[in-house]
Amino acid sequence: MTDLLQLPLLLSLTLGERLALMGVVLFVLLTSVAYTVYAERKIAAAIQNRIGPNRVGFDLIPQLGFLKGLAGLGQPIADVLKLLFKEDVVPSASNGFYHLLAPMISLFAALTTIAVVPVAAGLVIADVDIGVLYILAITSLGVYGLTLAGWASNSKYSLLGGLRSSAQMISYEIAMGLSVVSVVVIADSLSMTKIVESQTANPLYWNCFRNFLGFICFVVASFAECNRAPFDLPEAEQELVGGYNTEYGSMKFALFFLAEYANMIVASTVIATLFLGGYQVPFWSDAPWWLQVGAFVTKTLFMMFVFIWVRWTIPRFKYNQLMDLGWRKLLPLALFNLLLIAMGVLIFEA
Amino acid sequence: MPNNLPEIIEQVKLSLGAFVPEISLSALFLLVITLDMVLNEKRVVIPMVSLVGFVITGFFTWQQLDMPNQEYFLRMHVVDPFAVFFKFLFLGAGALAVLITMDSEELGEKNVANIGEYYAVLIAMVLGMFLMASASDMLMMFLALELVSISSYILTGYLKHQIKSSEASLKYIIYGAVSSGLMVYGMSLIYGLTGQTNIYEIAKFISANEVDEVTLTLAALLVMGGFGYKIGAVPFHFWSPDVYEGAPTPVTAFLSVGSKAAGFAMLIRFFKVAIPAEPTGELAFDWVNFFALIALVSMLLGNFAAIWQSNVKRMLAYSSIAHAGYLLLGVLVADDLGTQAVMFYLAAYTVMTVGAFYVVILIANKIGSDDVNDYRGLGKRMPLTAAALTVFLVSLTGLPPTVGFIGKYMIFTALLGKGTVFLTLAIIGVLTSAVSLYYYFKIPLNMYLRESEDGAETPMESSAFANALAAFLMILTIGFGLFFTPLANFAKNSVIMLVMN
Amino acid sequence: METVSFILFSFLGALVMVGSIGTVWSRNPVTSALFLVLNFFALGGIYLLLEAQFIAVVQVIVYAGAIMVLFLFTIMLLNLDDEQALKEKFDLQKGFGILLGGVLLVEVLYILGLKINLPQKSTTLTPVEIGEAKNIGRELITNFLFPFEIVSILLLLAVVGAIVLAKKNFSPNT
Repeated sequence: MTDLLQLPLLLSLTLGERLALMGVVLFVLLTSVAYTVYAERKIAAAIQNRIGPNRVGFDLIPQLGFLKGLAGLGQPIADVLKLLFKEDVVPSASNGFYHLLAPMISLFAALTTIAVVPVAAGLVIADVDIGVLYILAITSLGVYGLTLAGWASNSKYSLLGGLRSSAQMISYEIAMGLSVVSVVVIADSLSMTKIVESQTANPLYWNCFRNFLGFICFVVASFAECNRAPFDLPEAEQELVGGYNTEYGSMKFALFFLAEYANMIVASTVIATLFLGGYQVPFWSDAPWWLQVGAFVTKTLFMMFVFIWVRWTIPRFKYNQLMDLGWRKLLPLALFNLLLIAMGVLIFEA
Repeated sequence: MPNNLPEIIEQVKLSLGAFVPEISLSALFLLVITLDMVLNEKRVVIPMVSLVGFVITGFFTWQQLDMPNQEYFLRMHVVDPFAVFFKFLFLGAGALAVLITMDSEELGEKNVANIGEYYAVLIAMVLGMFLMASASDMLMMFLALELVSISSYILTGYLKHQIKSSEASLKYIIYGAVSSGLMVYGMSLIYGLTGQTNIYEIAKFISANEVDEVTLTLAALLVMGGFGYKIGAVPFHFWSPDVYEGAPTPVTAFLSVGSKAAGFAMLIRFFKVAIPAEPTGELAFDWVNFFALIALVSMLLGNFAAIWQSNVKRMLAYSSIAHAGYLLLGVLVADDLGTQAVMFYLAAYTVMTVGAFYVVILIANKIGSDDVNDYRGLGKRMPLTAAALTVFLVSLTGLPPTVGFIGKYMIFTALLGKGTVFLTLAIIGVLTSAVSLYYYFKIPLNMYLRESEDGAETPMESSAFANALAAFLMILTIGFGLFFTPLANFAKNSVIMLVMN
Repeated sequence: METVSFILFSFLGALVMVGSIGTVWSRNPVTSALFLVLNFFALGGIYLLLEAQFIAVVQVIVYAGAIMVLFLFTIMLLNLDDEQALKEKFDLQKGFGILLGGVLLVEVLYILGLKINLPQKSTTLTPVEIGEAKNIGRELITNFLFPFEIVSILLLLAVVGAIVLAKKNFSPNT
């Protein structure tokens, strides 16, 4: 990746600083996955008029005794420990190598996307000129993880899940790409930082308003790309047991789980960057970096909330509805939006 | 290449005037796709629309006769008499293909539900051939070739409920992909050597600078892989018997004349322009000997392999390989006489081959078979059709008084007086033609001198339209054989190709 | 930086070779397809070394991300097992193929050994600028406008063809 760093950069962080930033971002991402799960369970419970996890505290550590039973905050840690200590079962008829490789690819794709997302002005792991395309490239690789998992498990449920996921991701990638193009047309650049800069600090100029249709298309498509409800056909529990991860247990399952939630978080950051003004603080164009990070995190949290909210309120699509939505509604809509945006840019910039 | 925008826009605007036939074909392509969506009754309307479109395009092409020889679209596209001649040829072949499709049971209502796209793809293929004849940039050559190839894959596999058709399509795709790959590799080598993609610039570079001969040879060989596949010459011919047999017969007819002619148009332009003879009379890459070899094996293999075929379409496939050999003889002479002969021969070949395939269609409509042994007794049952087929076969063999004879005569005379190698090739050409007599005449033999097995003698004549078309082609075959001067003169005037500017 | 580039190039080049050889060699179609993905990936890396970042990313998106996924999809749908049938004995045809391939290899090696002075295109742009999406786009709709438009016809044709050949209801009654 050395040569990536040779490319012209908007702002210069040294290599060491970049590595440090990478460490911080990955740490935050991975830990927040655990608490995203917790948040999801809590929100789901609220939506369904239940209480949700409320027992597990930090009882084992006497010094944290006062946290006992505090709103079940210890639950995610308990879950992780449970998964860690489980036996790693590999089905005898499966293809062992690919069975192992699949979750790795999934997690790799989920985590590497974050590299080009700016968390504040100039604060980005790798500010490449083609940031948006990089994101599209990496997300399109994520599908290998699920497809391979489905194939390597040698089970019909897994295979069906794998096939569904690849069909779904390919179908929605097109609408996603086209809505990204509309963003690129407005910003006149493929660099993530420049896209954020083009949205200015005035919320009315953020792409979710300027490019409303594109925003809708992108959000729907990224729901589908993340395999989240209402697009969770690849793991539809009622019909496919667990879909592509049926034959997975222990830490490998945890990797898939991690990838799914990391995907959700990364998708939220990307949506925030492309459409919600990224790190821009409303009406304060040169806010200090920590405030920008705050704004970015707030926007991301909001999008994550939307993800969870949608999952627990909208029922799952049927397969034909999914394909119909992708090819016959979203794709024409994204194309139309692109035309609209292109005309708008021509008119207003001339 | 100009770099400032206004100049580019100006050039593109200017070029549009030279692109009217192609625009008209593109519009026709879109129109047919649209009509196919809105119309309910497509079987008559769409072919008619296509024919009218071809006629209109023909009119625009005719207007190009007076245009100055020039390159257009920032040196991507050439309009010169050479290209215009081929455009007429493609239009003629395309129109004939549309006509013979209308009469084919194979593509009839019983077998194929959606015929609209068939005509659309056919039109796109004609468009591709237009571009092939006009391409003056390696990039455009590749794109045009792909346009033709992809259309042919689709048309070949059009009868997808028949395994043979799908198999033929698949084989065609695989061979096509490999040979396009070879061609692009060769082109990239040429680009690497010269830094140019425009064939005129390449020629300029090669004659002005020293280029490595081995590399150029390899590149030219690889490029020939792509062209050779289109013209169906040995050793790039492996696809043709299977594809000819499996494809719907009208498609076979169109492939055997259209693609081949387009391949020759591009091949002649590429080798004559891009790798010209140096002032000393030496070629930068000696493609003459190379073509001589290809032509020789094509003639031998095509004609001898055809002897063992009992399926008429397969037999015609091998005969088309042999014809590619004869045509290459005309190319390798590398003078105007040879090129003129090739052009005349291609026109003649179009008429007689489409005719032959048309009769094969008519017979297959009635007896449901392409096998020579099932043709027994047809002389009595379908007298007109049988007579027409005999005339076409006579012409394919190259016997007077047909147009095929004139074509072969022109090619062989072009070879005379140029040295012993050429003379030897001409003699081999004549001898292999004699071999072809053997297998071509198996068909009339069966039709006239043998009784059908069940002894049926009930006449089975085709419709009046079919008879008229067969008769028309028959008259053309004999008519051009007797009064060949107009066509020969047209070919002679069209030899003018835009060379170095 | 020169050495870093060289090491990266050697590494990526080796990956490309491993990928291509693996594609041909492996008997399991899924392994084959995945080796090809590796090959595409490494090729993308080499493009990156040449500072053609746009091409590099498009290479990954189009080939690795879209085409190969469809390949894998098809392989899984057909459920191809280890292809034992492909094991052939050495015959004349194969020998001829190897001979031709060998000749080609020698010629290619010869060309590589030539060290010809390649003609340079004069340009005011730096290598990095040439690789930018903006400049590639500009070239496409100016100097290469004509081929660009022809490609659009080609793609339309391919779409029509794909639909014609893939459409299920091809019986005359629909």
